[in-house]
Amino acid sequence: MAYLVRNDIVQYACTCGQLRPISFLYFCRHCLKLRCGYCVCHEVESHYCSNCLEILPSAEARLKKNRHVPKHIRKCQACFDCPNCLNTLAVRGTTVSVRDPEDPSKVNSQKKYYHACFFCRWTTRDVGLPDQAVQTVSANGWAQKNTSNLQRITVLLEHAKLLGMLERHEREQREKKFTTRFRRNFSHLPGLTAAHVRKRAGLPPELPAPSTIKVNLAEFQPAVAKDTVQELPSDIFTEELDISRVTTLAQRFAQPETQPENIEDLLPMYKHLSTKQSQRCRECEHNVSKPELNPSSIKFKIQQAAYFHVPEVRFVTIEPPIGGKPSEVVILFINPSQHPTTLSFITLQEAEDEMKQYHSEGSADTSVQQGEAPPSLSSLTKPVTVVEEQKPIDISLTGEVLLPAPDIEIILPPKDDAAEYDDSGETQQFHDDPKIVIHRRANKASLRFTVVPKTDFIGENCVIGFAFRYTYVNRISSPAISTSEQKPQKVQLCTRVFMNCGKILEGTQ
Amino acid sequence: MELSDILYNKAEYVETASGNKVSRHTVLCGSQNIVLHGKVIVQSDAIIRGDLAHVRTGRYCIVSKRAVLRPSFKKFSKGVAFFPLAMGDHVFVGENSVVSAAMVGSYVYIGNNVVIGRRCILKDCCYIEDNTVLPPETVVPSFSRYAGSPGVCVGELPECTQELMFDLTKNYYQHFIPAPQ
Amino acid sequence: MSSLSTHDAKPKHDLKIATHAIVCHESKLKGDITIGAHTIVHPRATIIAEAGPIIIGEFNIIEEQAHIINRLPPGADPSTQIVMEIGNGNVFEVDCLFESTKMGDQNVMEVKSHVGPGVEITSGCIIGAGCKLTGKEILPENTVVYGRNCARRIAMDKPPMQNLQIEFLTKTLVNYHHLKKPRSANS
Repeated sequence: MAYLVRNDIVQYACTCGQLRPISFLYFCRHCLKLRCGYCVCHEVESHYCSNCLEILPSAEARLKKNRHVPKHIRKCQACFDCPNCLNTLAVRGTTVSVRDPEDPSKVNSQKKYYHACFFCRWTTRDVGLPDQAVQTVSANGWAQKNTSNLQRITVLLEHAKLLGMLERHEREQREKKFTTRFRRNFSHLPGLTAAHVRKRAGLPPELPAPSTIKVNLAEFQPAVAKDTVQELPSDIFTEELDISRVTTLAQRFAQPETQPENIEDLLPMYKHLSTKQSQRCRECEHNVSKPELNPSSIKFKIQQAAYFHVPEVRFVTIEPPIGGKPSEVVILFINPSQHPTTLSFITLQEAEDEMKQYHSEGSADTSVQQGEAPPSLSSLTKPVTVVEEQKPIDISLTGEVLLPAPDIEIILPPKDDAAEYDDSGETQQFHDDPKIVIHRRANKASLRFTVVPKTDFIGENCVIGFAFRYTYVNRISSPAISTSEQKPQKVQLCTRVFMNCGKILEGTQ
Repeated sequence: MELSDILYNKAEYVETASGNKVSRHTVLCGSQNIVLHGKVIVQSDAIIRGDLAHVRTGRYCIVSKRAVLRPSFKKFSKGVAFFPLAMGDHVFVGENSVVSAAMVGSYVYIGNNVVIGRRCILKDCCYIEDNTVLPPETVVPSFSRYAGSPGVCVGELPECTQELMFDLTKNYYQHFIPAPQ
Repeated sequence: MSSLSTHDAKPKHDLKIATHAIVCHESKLKGDITIGAHTIVHPRATIIAEAGPIIIGEFNIIEEQAHIINRLPPGADPSTQIVMEIGNGNVFEVDCLFESTKMGDQNVMEVKSHVGPGVEITSGCIIGAGCKLTGKEILPENTVVYGRNCARRIAMDKPPMQNLQIEFLTKTLVNYHHLKKPRSANS
């Protein structure tokens, strides 16, 4: 629950230096590194409406434009938001009796539908919109009262897009050398169009020639300041203002096309679409997360969350931290993987030195690793890898933690789902130091640490940080490896963790 | 934070063969229409209105103190009908919350003091923050976090929500133990 | 399963229930209360007439954990009689708290709403879920109070009558609950 409710208690340092709770981190099984939301590529898999859960394939969402919906705004065509309170509108049916046009004495009953908000009770009838004969109303039926702003907004957006294109063009011109090389690199690949290649390589689609952009830009008419301003209505100072008839700012901002001033001019709004996204490691271009397309499915095709690979750290008990006085904390370590893991503890400084060393080695290493990636990708990705520069961790430590000696190793057994139903007592013996390990249960172990909060941070949160090494069994059977060695590799990884032990209290001597 | 033990008075709770722990101080109307699928905790002063329509919960659901599970009705031309309330596995319902949904999926977290309006549909893996009011017929999609009045989507949930909720409800059940006499 | 011990109205003759009303035995009624015909009182609803009688009209629905309290204002003379009147066709949803002394017809108090002692509710009003009204005012007809900031608007129509729901509840609640017997005022 801690990760759903509060996420500032235990934070892991991502490879890029961001601090995140473990649930928001990914673990790339190919690079064997932690990735956070800031250092992966987000790709939109599908658009869907959060109300009717209908999927609109991305291409369709882009193409599905009509007179009132600019193509850049992705909206559901069947669901509407209340313009008054921004809640979703519901369809209500009523039976109205209509006089038969042929025989005026006969009265026919007809089913009619209108939209109503169940929250603020706004209805389409409030603003005089006629009831619809079909249940799935397309808003074309509702006459747009004023679209002058809409046209201007479309023009402005188009203009901004052109400016962006021009800028990109200039930039690409500067990087010409790079582009030509990359084009040559896979022009030989069959079945790939130029646009496709650009997309695979993470580049924006081909731009139109700069001359056409400039021609289009010249057509733009900037806003002109006018000397003559529309006269205020004569009764503006005499008429008493009825605040309940005027729209609020939130209501106006929700409808930029019309920006209604009066309650009567509010129209139902198309519901914006939500997206399902997949995440891709920027370094090796493998997916770390890829959801199923169906919006109501919670399954994933690929799910490499850190939660499934990296040992999880939780507080069990904390003695209230008192400045300068050592207090005892009990921390639980959980092994989420299917293999036993060995933990050992090092300080942050040691971990950083180790990483620097690894980094300098790694830069020479990458060329070799690239060979392991699928050949179709490797040639594409190589020139355009965008790796986030590692940033220093932005947190100040306000407490010291005394770690067990680095040569003390704690073995965590693998996670065993069947063991949950097995009531027989633990039979495994681990020969632990009872001073450190105070409790064990299945794949979990509670360890005792001593924290000494610093005296000059009284009143602030006591933040401790440490790093731990753990063994990780890499089971990826990439084609390059599978031929030479079938055995899963055992590697030692290191993770830095920061924990918040609560407010430091003043010591009472 | 690892959950600490939640102690209850052994005399107050009834434990069924399937592991349900139900407080005696609850109002379970029409208990023949209520199905608790095992390892469900219903805490004191909770109300489950099985008399209006069937209420079915999955495994490892937690209904906190003073929460109300109430099937919702819909008006038709020929009268009203109460819809059964179906709840998936591993659902947490916070204190003082009123749930009149038509469907609550699995791995759903409903905070304290929440109002879930009539005929709402909560898909799997969603999170309703404390004090949220969901208007009737709201659909909450998977992996979304809702808050406010009216409840709107304010964020996303991590991909491993299913495992987090699984872990939370299971842990809660394991730590919900009778106080030593 | 288990049911809670119920608190009966202490002086029995103070409780007047019309013939077609459904008042579940597990509700908590205290003091001089008159309940009109076709009114439904769900189990666990609380009606307390402390400062004076409560008169509830016809076709009302009072759901579980709804509190209708005729409270003695702090510092007032205990001998003063304040009458609380509730009209017809009102709905008190789960966990609402009504402390005012006057309510007209066809109002809806949504889940967890709260109307304080100084607010007079006219007719056709909807107090939205979680909204609190504690000032001193008379709510105009068809007012809708909604949202986190208790925003207001005037609706075109009154909320629909709940007669169909009352019909359904009248049929089903009998099968599951013990009811308080109807008792006219003079018996």
